[in-house]
Amino acid sequence: MAEEVSCLKARLMEKEKEIVALKNKLALEKNSLIDLQEKVTTLPPLKLKAALSNEDIMRYSRQLILPEFGVQGQLNLSQTSVLVVGCGGLGCPLAQYLAAAGIGRVGLLDYDEVELSNLHRQVLHGEDSQGQAKAQSAAHAVRRLNSTVECIPYHLQLSPENALQLIQQYDIVADCSDNVPTRYLVNDACVLSGKPLVSASALRMEGQLTVYNYRGGPCYRCLYPKPPPPEMVTNCSDGGILGVVPGIMGCFQALEVLKIASGQGSSCGQQLLMFDAQDAKFRSIRLRSKQASCAVCGENPTVTHLVDYEKFCGSAATDKCRRLSLLSKDQRVTVQEYKSIVDNTAAHLLLDVRPLVEVDICHLPTSLNIPLSSLEDRKSEHIRVLKERIGRVKEQMSNESQVPVYVICKLGNDSQKAVQVLEKMSGSEVDFVTVKDICGGLMAWAQKIDPSFPQY
Amino acid sequence: MTTEVSVFYFAKSAELTGLKSETIRVASELTTVELWQDLVSRHPRLSAVRDSVVLAVRQEYLALGDVRVSLRDGDEVAVIPPLSGG
Repeated sequence: MAEEVSCLKARLMEKEKEIVALKNKLALEKNSLIDLQEKVTTLPPLKLKAALSNEDIMRYSRQLILPEFGVQGQLNLSQTSVLVVGCGGLGCPLAQYLAAAGIGRVGLLDYDEVELSNLHRQVLHGEDSQGQAKAQSAAHAVRRLNSTVECIPYHLQLSPENALQLIQQYDIVADCSDNVPTRYLVNDACVLSGKPLVSASALRMEGQLTVYNYRGGPCYRCLYPKPPPPEMVTNCSDGGILGVVPGIMGCFQALEVLKIASGQGSSCGQQLLMFDAQDAKFRSIRLRSKQASCAVCGENPTVTHLVDYEKFCGSAATDKCRRLSLLSKDQRVTVQEYKSIVDNTAAHLLLDVRPLVEVDICHLPTSLNIPLSSLEDRKSEHIRVLKERIGRVKEQMSNESQVPVYVICKLGNDSQKAVQVLEKMSGSEVDFVTVKDICGGLMAWAQKIDPSFPQY
Repeated sequence: MTTEVSVFYFAKSAELTGLKSETIRVASELTTVELWQDLVSRHPRLSAVRDSVVLAVRQEYLALGDVRVSLRDGDEVAVIPPLSGG
């Protein structure tokens, strides 16, 4: 009996220890958890700071002794709120420098989650934050850097329904988004609520920056009254981007935000700053003041409330790849169908129409590579090779039927365009061919047929 | 009267023309829309970005239209479509 009691006592003590450990862990987790906002709420006003604390003075000492900035600049910063639209390649360095400099409040908005292919440029996120909301991950990094900055992560998509309520609560807006509809939405919301818009963008080896709707300068619509046709817009996953390029542009954005917030003012209100990373050159184009005829900030505006920007731009408010559908069903095969053609060793030509730089990353062993642009331009050396290869397949075929050509690319968009080009060429510029598109391209091949094939 | 100017192509326009810059000979007195048409005649694919482009001469924005511009030898013309990535 006594033995049993002592055994139970020992077990009880063990459980009590376990509870204490769990409680400690919970407290820690709670501490590091920042309330992720799934919708726009009304924020309390920023607390006014009458003077800097000793800790503030030490932390910000190197910028406090700048005559352009000084104590008043620092106090002004602490009373300014900034909304960062997009926590990607631009938003990460921007949020980092705003927090480091002691901005009062920063709203971090992003609807997306962290992926491995983001990490080369979205430098606030880490390997351990893959799958996490970007807004949350960025907020954690910002909190670690400066816990005195009030940080509000929004895990939501900016929309015509929520944009005004959100933007009205901030003093300055920074557009770090990655798509055209969002750029028009942010612009219009800033004009309608009278907020300066520090806008930057980057692609490949280039960047642009302008402060819109600021001290009589133009808004985004003054410069670009009509959105570009959707097929003229390249996104980062299609066009590529060197991570440091948005890094530089995001830092530039931080600089202009800090100048406005501290009271010095920005000189980019009537300037389009362009960065050419290849030639390491900055250029600055002088802009005019706002256009009297502008649809949103002009004298007789036609845009007096937010509209449907996806409809206006003819594209979705995302930088994810669009799926084109240019062909009929009998002009396309699935990757499974193509696999069985390969397995049956049926004579055919596999044409990969990606740019050479992507073919260097990965390709199927038998493919002939002719980029779509070369087909469109009828590059003579490429057309010669194409004719030759079609001829060789024809020799392998026992019957008189047309040579089957299967066209592949990364995701199955360019390959559809190439099918249309080849159908025009068939029987005139090259021998008669039967052309089909491989649906979903090499990424579908990697997902459904060969898991060892790389995805990018 | 013609004059020799350098044209710089940025973002999508560099992709459409296949060039980052070129030196061309154009009329020295013309409107911005005539200047644009001259560029399009050299690079027909440029016409796709006609409505969403900033045209700058001597690093100054000029609206595309009936706006007169005087070009001098060595002037810089820039064709700047917006970037939207981030």
